[in-house]
Amino acid sequence: MLNSSCRIQLESFEGPLDLLLYLIRRDEIDIYDIPMAHVADQYLEYIREAKELNLDIASEYLVMAATLTRMKSKSLLPIHRIDGEEEEDPGAELRRQLILYRTFREIAKELHRSEETWTDIYTSPGERERWSISNTSIEPGQTSLMDLLRAMDNLSEGETELPAQRIRRKLLTVSECIQTLDKVFHTGDQISFRSVVGLQASRTKIVSYFIAILELIRRGWVSFHQAYPFSEIELKRTERWTVDS
Amino acid sequence: MILDRLAREVEALIFASDTPLSIEQLCEFTGSGEDSVHQALDRLNKAFIDQQHALTIIEVAGGYRLATDKDFGAIVSQLFEGRKPGKLSRAALETLAVIAYSQPCTRMAIESIRGVNCDSAIRTLLERDMIRISGRMETPGRPLLYSTTRVFLEYFGLTDLDHLPRSSEIAELLSMSSSEMEEKDLFGEAGE
Repeated sequence: MLNSSCRIQLESFEGPLDLLLYLIRRDEIDIYDIPMAHVADQYLEYIREAKELNLDIASEYLVMAATLTRMKSKSLLPIHRIDGEEEEDPGAELRRQLILYRTFREIAKELHRSEETWTDIYTSPGERERWSISNTSIEPGQTSLMDLLRAMDNLSEGETELPAQRIRRKLLTVSECIQTLDKVFHTGDQISFRSVVGLQASRTKIVSYFIAILELIRRGWVSFHQAYPFSEIELKRTERWTVDS
Repeated sequence: MILDRLAREVEALIFASDTPLSIEQLCEFTGSGEDSVHQALDRLNKAFIDQQHALTIIEVAGGYRLATDKDFGAIVSQLFEGRKPGKLSRAALETLAVIAYSQPCTRMAIESIRGVNCDSAIRTLLERDMIRISGRMETPGRPLLYSTTRVFLEYFGLTDLDHLPRSSEIAELLSMSSSEMEEKDLFGEAGE
């Protein structure tokens, strides 16, 4: 029966379009002449089955179910043509989506094949790239958010020991961090992020200061420089800090 | 077979370089013309084959690199055990395919093609340096734009973005509206 054949399978689809393409192919349907009522029923059958199994149904599946139901009801009603007004085919947009998605699904398969081939080929020197990026100053756009996050990761790495007793957390606000920085950090000074937080800084302190630094960079009060991913972040106080505040 | 000076210079440069060397760079560093460098590369690869080396020079990500023969993939992989990340998931590959052909593009654009949320796939691809944030689109909300990286090209053994499979066909497909698509029979025998 149909019921057993679609059991659990919802999870193996990459979304509603993937599922639709499967149904279209299984029932040998012509994409340019989709029997809306039939496809909508088949699709809803899958969704219902997944619901019965208490599977989490991603909202995208439900949106598609609603779209298909609407298209099905439209296809069952007689078409009223108003003169001079072209009736828009609701199926056209769906077909466009299906065609595009199917193409990219094929490309993904091709990429997977290249991946299989190239996984056995090792180029020299590979990893050396990581530390070979020249030490010149970084231009906007050269580093990404990911680099900052990794540097952040690096900072909190050494800190794995968990406290054995309950300790009241000292709250450190971002504005406090900025105030402290304002006192110790003079225009033109250059300091490293590590020296700002100190070597044995708590995670809270690192996070607070990091957010403070991000805020200062955003305001243009501090400029920063990082030679390469994971490395120390060098900070420099700009004149704008004194001018703006 | 004794290799000439130029071929050995090219070999040394490619071996020591940290990034793929383009033909222009090889010409500049050796002070030779493009034709002679190409011929030197051929001589090198021929020497590798003649002497049954496990190495060969390949063209990838816009330049030349020394690479091990795929027959030795299993033995070399031992060096990177636990360090080499696993294969990409289907979701990640599909997302990457969309970005590769329509870059720079927003998360919205990717999701409208795949029909599903792509957050986690994008995160995986960013973490693996396959894509990068290349800017923001100047529309309301200023969404982030994503582009592929050189790591992506190297990972899939692509010379450059023009060498993506079926690139002109897909560029045309992406630019078509739904009514234009209706006129073309795109759902023929291909694929599936």
